[in-house]
Amino acid sequence: MQKNIYSALAAVTLAVTGGSFAGTASAQSSDCTYPLGAVLSLSGSMAAIGGAIGDAGQLAVDQMNEAGGMLGCEVEYRLRDDQGQPNVGIDAAMSLVSIEGVEVLLGAIQSGITMPVLTSVAVPEGVTQISCCSTAPNFTELAASGDTQGYWFRTLPTVRPQGFVMADIARERGYESVAVIYVNSDYGVAMTEAFNDAFTAAGGTVTEMVPYNQEQASYRAEVSTALATEPDALFLVAFPADGATALREWLSFGGTQNILLSNALRATEFIDAVGAEYLQNAAGIDNAQFDGPSVDAFNAAWEERFGSAPEGPGLHTMYDAAAIAMLAAQKAGVYEGAAIRDAVREVTGPGGEVINPGPEGFARAIEVLAEGGDISYVGATGPIEFDDYGDVSGPYLIWGVSEDGELTQVDTWDVERVNELMQGQ
Amino acid sequence: MPQALADGLLTGAIYALGAIGLTLTMGILRFANFAHAEMMTWGAYMALGVLTVFSLPSAPLGPLTFGWPLIGATVIAILLTIGLALLIDKLIFARLRGRVNHLTLVFASFGVALLVRNLISLIFGGEATYYTNTLQMAIRIAPGLRVMPDQVFIFCLSIVLVIAIHLFLQKTRLGLAMRAVSESPTLAEINGISLSRVVKWVWIIGGALAAIAGVLYGVSVQLRPEFGFQLLLPLFAAAIIGGVGNVVGAVLGGFFIGIVESMSVLVIPAGYKLAMPFIVMLLVLYVRPTGLFSGTSGGK
Repeated sequence: MQKNIYSALAAVTLAVTGGSFAGTASAQSSDCTYPLGAVLSLSGSMAAIGGAIGDAGQLAVDQMNEAGGMLGCEVEYRLRDDQGQPNVGIDAAMSLVSIEGVEVLLGAIQSGITMPVLTSVAVPEGVTQISCCSTAPNFTELAASGDTQGYWFRTLPTVRPQGFVMADIARERGYESVAVIYVNSDYGVAMTEAFNDAFTAAGGTVTEMVPYNQEQASYRAEVSTALATEPDALFLVAFPADGATALREWLSFGGTQNILLSNALRATEFIDAVGAEYLQNAAGIDNAQFDGPSVDAFNAAWEERFGSAPEGPGLHTMYDAAAIAMLAAQKAGVYEGAAIRDAVREVTGPGGEVINPGPEGFARAIEVLAEGGDISYVGATGPIEFDDYGDVSGPYLIWGVSEDGELTQVDTWDVERVNELMQGQ
Repeated sequence: MPQALADGLLTGAIYALGAIGLTLTMGILRFANFAHAEMMTWGAYMALGVLTVFSLPSAPLGPLTFGWPLIGATVIAILLTIGLALLIDKLIFARLRGRVNHLTLVFASFGVALLVRNLISLIFGGEATYYTNTLQMAIRIAPGLRVMPDQVFIFCLSIVLVIAIHLFLQKTRLGLAMRAVSESPTLAEINGISLSRVVKWVWIIGGALAAIAGVLYGVSVQLRPEFGFQLLLPLFAAAIIGGVGNVVGAVLGGFFIGIVESMSVLVIPAGYKLAMPFIVMLLVLYVRPTGLFSGTSGGK
């Protein structure tokens, strides 16, 4: 049913573009097509969000076709369902690559599927893979070890930059030694490792890194372990309810009130539970929402197309993944995995002419590239700059707590400032 | 080291309090009552409800974070928990008792647990709450050793309660009847003991203990609809290590598990702390299949 709607929409879009872009574009489009592959969870545990994420990719593809197509040819969006299962995902990716001739794979959503697709399809077959949604830290490790051969990118910021920013704040505040209590999950481990790397590199000492398991009666043992090292400050990487338990115990046992807090703790529930009077010297971090014309352009296009606001995880990042894939191919001048891989960083990052989402933006990009110019895609998530490992950073805000327990915004870090910090390390 | 020992004893006190009620119902009623943990949650939230409805102040007593209002609320919560326990028994367990095997009762108790837990989150919401947001500062009693007054209170209360329950079981006629039923329900009935009366009293005592344990957990940590469920595994481990039905054993089992958990982080990464109660339980069961302090019943 949904597929019928898509094809109908695609037909309508094509008819419209055929009319508006007099002749050349549509004539070329009918000559040739390039497949753009996507593997997403349209059914299974992520089905609730997978469908809309797929739509975001479709929107980018349709807009590219409206702008004249990629390399003068129509882009065909080949969306496959991984059913939330790694083996199904690998099969889908493999058939896209080896049978349908896809050179760029978008997806998957869950890290557990993205990883086998990357290691057993994308890298061996020399296909560029861009994920909208997988945040697991082991992709960064894999990229750092060189095993992705540079074919791996993701448009969703990882927690790593947050650890770097917090380390910078710790140094700025003059803390020499910091103990970390962190939730024993991918998220907590990645944040703590990043903080440790950055803080140690900046000359500080991380006295103790204590993991805790969620939903425990008491974190006294963990708190005591961290407390025994008598650090200048505590960095708490936690979720609100358990975080409150741990921090209350920390404070009760005479721990310092120099406290650094992770993004998940930016909740009034947490502030109320701990008590604002103890958090006057605390600083936390959180993702900031970027706003600007590029974000508005995507939001408006989405609303026009689907009749509702683009709310939900992965929509903006999926759109950017698809747009970057097509712009990189355009820049490369050839639809080939390795060439696209090398062109991804040339169409993103600062330096070129800013390209916003939408058919006009894509048309302008094609024009500039044809003239041999540089483009700088600023997407639905704002400015995008991939680091050496294919990760992006996002804008962050630094928050504090006022005397009456309100959350306050102390500082903001835009993407440029974050990137500068990450490169400085 | 002394801090880890103290932490373990004080966390163990919470386990011990919960395990007393659990081991009592398990030993005498002869099935693993998963809903016992939810009785604790229920009791804790009922006390919170009383405090909220009458908007009572926390009025702390001395160094403690709570005072007479919470103690009064706890009394009402005990009555409400006993009421719930008796209601559940009448509606569910009484219909099944003696007609089905004990595994069916275990599953029924699991269903009851789900119902009660979700009822609590329906009424009170899912977020963590506290009786009072006042943060209690630990008192330094020796170099490198700090304890919170509330925890000392909980520790002492658990000792008092276990002595009281022990004396009750050993010295009173009702206690004797309970022990008789736990040995053999049929033989007890032949000797003129009313089974239904004993069962009723087990629920009353079990419910009251659960409510007290729940409130004290709330005082010491925080209130969340799922806290009872999260405590369930350490509680079962404590009851089993102590020997099912053995009240003193359950308390010692609770302290033992608290200490092992707390000491373990000195040697192994804290992430593996959760596994400690079970490793200990396996070792104990391997060496002494009936628990460290052999249970009063086989629990068959």
